[in-house]
Amino acid sequence: MIAYNKTWLANLRLQQQVKDNVERGNISHDEFNAIAEKYAVGFYSPNIFVRVGLFIVTCIIVLFADGLLSLIAAGGNIAETGGWAIFLGLLSYGALELMINAKYHFRSGVDDALLFTAGCAFIGGFAMFLHKTTEAPGFLPMAILVFLLTLYLTIRFADMLAVAVCCASFLWMVFLYWTRVAGVSTAPFIMMLVSGAIYWSARKYGSRKEVINYANCFGVVQILSLIALYAAGNYYIIATLSVEMMNQTGPVAFGVLFWVWTIAVPFVYIGFGLKQKNAILLRTGLLLVTAAVLTFRNYYHLLPVDVMLTIAGLALLSIVYAIMRYLKKPKHGFTCAEPDKVNALDHLKIESLIVAETFSHTPTAPANDGAEFGGGDFGGGGSSGGF
Amino acid sequence: MDNNLYTNLHAEGLISDESFTKTMLREQEPVLFSLHWEIRTLLYIGVLLLTGGLGLLIYENIDTIGHQFVLGLIALISAGCFVYCFRTKLPFNITRVGAPNSFFDYILLLGSISLVTFVGYLQYQYNVFGTHYGMATLIPMLALFFIAYYFDHLGILSLAIANLAVWMGVTVTPKELLLHSDFNSQTIVFTYLALGLILVFAGWASQCFNFKRHFKFSYQHYGIHVTYIALLAGYFLFYDSFAAFGWMIGIAILSVVMYNDAFKNSSFYFLLLVALYSYIAISCLVVRVLATAGDIGAIYLMFLYFIGSGIGMIFLLINLNKKLKTP
Repeated sequence: MIAYNKTWLANLRLQQQVKDNVERGNISHDEFNAIAEKYAVGFYSPNIFVRVGLFIVTCIIVLFADGLLSLIAAGGNIAETGGWAIFLGLLSYGALELMINAKYHFRSGVDDALLFTAGCAFIGGFAMFLHKTTEAPGFLPMAILVFLLTLYLTIRFADMLAVAVCCASFLWMVFLYWTRVAGVSTAPFIMMLVSGAIYWSARKYGSRKEVINYANCFGVVQILSLIALYAAGNYYIIATLSVEMMNQTGPVAFGVLFWVWTIAVPFVYIGFGLKQKNAILLRTGLLLVTAAVLTFRNYYHLLPVDVMLTIAGLALLSIVYAIMRYLKKPKHGFTCAEPDKVNALDHLKIESLIVAETFSHTPTAPANDGAEFGGGDFGGGGSSGGF
Repeated sequence: MDNNLYTNLHAEGLISDESFTKTMLREQEPVLFSLHWEIRTLLYIGVLLLTGGLGLLIYENIDTIGHQFVLGLIALISAGCFVYCFRTKLPFNITRVGAPNSFFDYILLLGSISLVTFVGYLQYQYNVFGTHYGMATLIPMLALFFIAYYFDHLGILSLAIANLAVWMGVTVTPKELLLHSDFNSQTIVFTYLALGLILVFAGWASQCFNFKRHFKFSYQHYGIHVTYIALLAGYFLFYDSFAAFGWMIGIAILSVVMYNDAFKNSSFYFLLLVALYSYIAISCLVVRVLATAGDIGAIYLMFLYFIGSGIGMIFLLINLNKKLKTP
């Protein structure tokens, strides 16, 4: 089971919960220190900047250590085999277990990097192995192997990147299996069923006490399964796949159904998100509205892009303004005031950096090519918050 | 969630009666679901869409009758935004001034970007500044700096810094730095170096004169990246001449200065940057020395160097973090 010390994980949760109340001014710092002493956490988990630095440096070490070993092994003709990659993966894995058990690293950057490199080496090894041994490899065995590997890594380390890959490879596996056994035409419905079932079980079982150490993993699973559920019925994806896999051009069967799905599902997510006050549903829904708009625009051009962007921008600003006016005083349990938790990344002043990154072209707008704007590149879902 | 937690802590004598009551009261309050970040993101996307749409609108209608209408529209939006901002803003102060509401930030952003677009369009279509191309970027830059200071807006300060770079003929945002910069020209390297030093100095000055002290981060963030990259680029540009070591000495000086500054402000972010860039610089020197030997043994040594120095870096980072926490 989980590699990290369970008592410390429980104490860490307790401390975080108490810390929220310290920030609200309900519990004094002295009391918090006493609590932290009684419910001690022995992990080494530094702040985000140290974590990033340690991640980079550890990756460099692993890269060069693997390079050195491969150089030594190069004479013996084994360095190009899949087995060698798996051996290097095992070395990373060993180092990871050592760092966690002997040095008590927890989300310190070092364990993240070792897990990342171990996973990459194993997957690379599997790919080389399958490529070498079978005539027509196909992706199904690969998907199964990746799924089993990341499932193990998830259970052992509760890592968010591992669980994301695990979830994706499971869906990939189901898709490949189904298209091989029953064909492509029913695949969308099966994928809807499967991803819906994943979401449902993640919601149902994710809050149980036994799996409390995996809370953030279940969050990732929920996000990914919601996206998969939407993608399974998205018109563009289905049309593209039917062209690619069945050489079938022209309108898709049950086209109306998929169009309704494409447009309606994001709003259903948003609706349920608001009703249940569930941030994951709400944010995924908002993100998928973009996908719905892009899909729609891919097939129907009602307005030129510039006019549409302008109108959409104006409409969005006025809607949000209306919401803000409406929520000036909290209503129905909603507020638009800042949550009282301080985000660690706030120290980086992320927002100002994003502004500079996206708008830095504006000054020379007309002389520059106007295609620079567009602005299709927001969101990103945050599904892979691995490190 | 589990209120037993606080009951237990109370029973164990870890929290006082007063704190316990306060906490329990807080726990009984209905939890408000905050839409703060959703609303901010949507506002941001709205500004992005609107300015993008207007920019494209001009671009595509540039030679038609519609362009005067578009120009008027942009001017109107910009003016409207600034009127709103002037009316709702809090009084100016040399320290941090919060925004009156979250809408304010984005309206100001919209106004500034449309102002910049407006000036750019004027120059393109009517050659307002004639052939003084510098002026066409200088005016928006000064305007942006003024807006940033007057309304206290970090995002616009970043825009202004990016414009300063454009005015000097280079770019500062990390993506552009990596994708489009051509470090093989002496002028570009020197321009970057000058820009970086200006920004670092501006950061220092903000703190020293206590004028909009919180702007220091933005200046220093861009300044430190640009200066280090310019110094490294200079080192490689003069790789074969003796001057290369001058650039390395520059890196050393910058590292020492920034290291002390990061400690003074206990900012691990800048400490991390100093450590990583210095590590890159030292590694460049080591690789250079080993490359002159040029046999297989040197390659083994290089691998060993990176493994050893990497482990050293881990200890260094961990210790620096410890040292920063306990001054």
